Amino acid sequence: MKTAQLEDYLPRPAQVVEVVTENSQIKSFLLRFVDKKHNAGFSYQPGQFMMVSMPHCGEAPISFSSTPATKGLIRLSVRKAGTLTSAMHELKEGSIIGLRGPYGKSFPMEYLAKRDLLFVAGGIGLAPLTSVINTCLADPEYQGRITILYGSRTPEDIAFMAEIKAWQANAAVECLLTVDLATSEWQGNTGLVTSLFDQVAINPATQSAVVCGPPMMIKAVLSALAEKGFDDHDIITTMERHMKCGVGVCRHCHMDGKLVCVDGPVFTLAQLKELNVMEIS
Amino acid sequence: MTDKFTLKKDHLTPFLRKLGKGNRLVVPLKNRHGDTLFTEIDEIDGAPLDLATQPQNSIKQFLLPQREVLSTYQLQDSGSYEFTPVVPVSGPTIFFGVRSCDLSGVLYMDVTFLQGTTDAPYRKKRLDSVLIGLNCNHPFGNCFCNATKSGPFLEYGADLQFTDIGDCYLVEVGRTKGAAIVEKWHQFFTPAEEKDTKKQYQAFLEARGSFSQLVHVDQAIKRLQEDGVPSEIWHQLSARCHDCAGCAYICPTCTCFTITDSPLTADSGERLRSWDACTFSGFTRMAGGHNPVARKTDAIRQRFMHKLCYDVQKHGRPSCVGCGRCVDMCFGGTDILRFINMACEGS
Repeated sequence: MKTAQLEDYLPRPAQVVEVVTENSQIKSFLLRFVDKKHNAGFSYQPGQFMMVSMPHCGEAPISFSSTPATKGLIRLSVRKAGTLTSAMHELKEGSIIGLRGPYGKSFPMEYLAKRDLLFVAGGIGLAPLTSVINTCLADPEYQGRITILYGSRTPEDIAFMAEIKAWQANAAVECLLTVDLATSEWQGNTGLVTSLFDQVAINPATQSAVVCGPPMMIKAVLSALAEKGFDDHDIITTMERHMKCGVGVCRHCHMDGKLVCVDGPVFTLAQLKELNVMEIS
Repeated sequence: MTDKFTLKKDHLTPFLRKLGKGNRLVVPLKNRHGDTLFTEIDEIDGAPLDLATQPQNSIKQFLLPQREVLSTYQLQDSGSYEFTPVVPVSGPTIFFGVRSCDLSGVLYMDVTFLQGTTDAPYRKKRLDSVLIGLNCNHPFGNCFCNATKSGPFLEYGADLQFTDIGDCYLVEVGRTKGAAIVEKWHQFFTPAEEKDTKKQYQAFLEARGSFSQLVHVDQAIKRLQEDGVPSEIWHQLSARCHDCAGCAYICPTCTCFTITDSPLTADSGERLRSWDACTFSGFTRMAGGHNPVARKTDAIRQRFMHKLCYDVQKHGRPSCVGCGRCVDMCFGGTDILRFINMACEGS
């Protein structure tokens, strides 16, 4: 029998190594645990999340935007949305925050490693997908084709530019961008992320789709993917909910009979269809 | 060796006096306002022990306090931000006179906090506790533990289980901690005879036949599992819910909590765990304001689905223990009895 994990809700200090301003709303923080031994032994999987503590602000769940292939350094990308995330945006290189985790079920990496992958993201939703994409790209065994479709509100809102440039320069990756509202300089696609579907090769037989973004976008993309013929098991998304404990006890993240923190945050559309879930109802 | 004994009622106070030495003692006590509450006592002699009334609280608050410090944090000029754990200091605690519903509530909390991930603060308090149950000879007005299969008599779960059989209590040993008590204080216990167990069975039959509420819990569960109830029921009850969380706070099995920081100075503070309730409008609201639960129509859905459907699927039994407290508490008329009756109507 698996020994139950003892949870004492105690965060560990972690130091900000670098702050990257992704756009006016999103910053990425490269972090390592102050305790060197813990940092060296720390491991996680794409799709999992950490509970982040900020002084006097309590905690919030933030998913990894880094790949575990990069040892000794984790990255959390954060959109300024409430008190805690606003405080995070004031962090500087050298600042200390509290972290506990990792928590949650990861993306099915073993399965995804055998598939072509279609990533569909909106806004900050690219953060957890970046972890999957860069994990696949760092895996010498991975033979599949990677397609990334990323939607932002305006050209100024496009986050993760460093990653996007690297993907666009990589022959094994196709990465297309779109914006809802174009500016006069914008040369690229305008429209919802689903409008990019016709510009890329889609083959549900060999491809799995990985989706993350705001609720309305997830809803539109899930139904568009189903129309393209993707099996419900091959449409995978990660859900965002209010969380307090991260370990399936406090129940803030209830989603019908499931708890997003322990049953998710990664779910297939097949799993979501069994539930009464706002994003797909 | 037998595991059934009798203890004379005259010997109860001396017995509890002995137990109180070296242990914290929590018993149902009538306060000066006439209310009976589980209360920690220093001195059993002269204490107004009340075993005839259902305590207004369950013992939940002693294992999951309404407000509990999980850790403290300190900030220093050097930039350090350190957390220090706070270990619960309750010490060995004997809970006496715990009725079947409330004892079942603790067994459910054990499932919540000790299966899967083990909650360290709960585990410490639970390992420190001894549960002495009291079978219910006289169910109260709103009780329906017979329908939730968590009373009026309990066959397992307690360390020692007491039944009032007239001039003495029949005492059944449930777990090793109970056996240790009987062994240590053997002078109070006499091996039970057949007449004593017969009296207990008679008391059980009388208790079982004296419920005034006829509640079809099984039927409601079946309906929720099969096709669910009409959404109109959720809408009606949600509209009537006053968002007070009285039901959750009084409930022996409602364990939802929140974690917050309480600053003490500019550079230090406490990380607190406090009771929360799924019916609160902020319970599921995310930073930025988005709320995945439509409060107007579904505020109360999670409460009843969790207790009567999800827990049945997950653990094989509902997590309502039929204590009836929320029925008295709810001034909006959206208590679980009302819901069960609505769910059963027309099915």
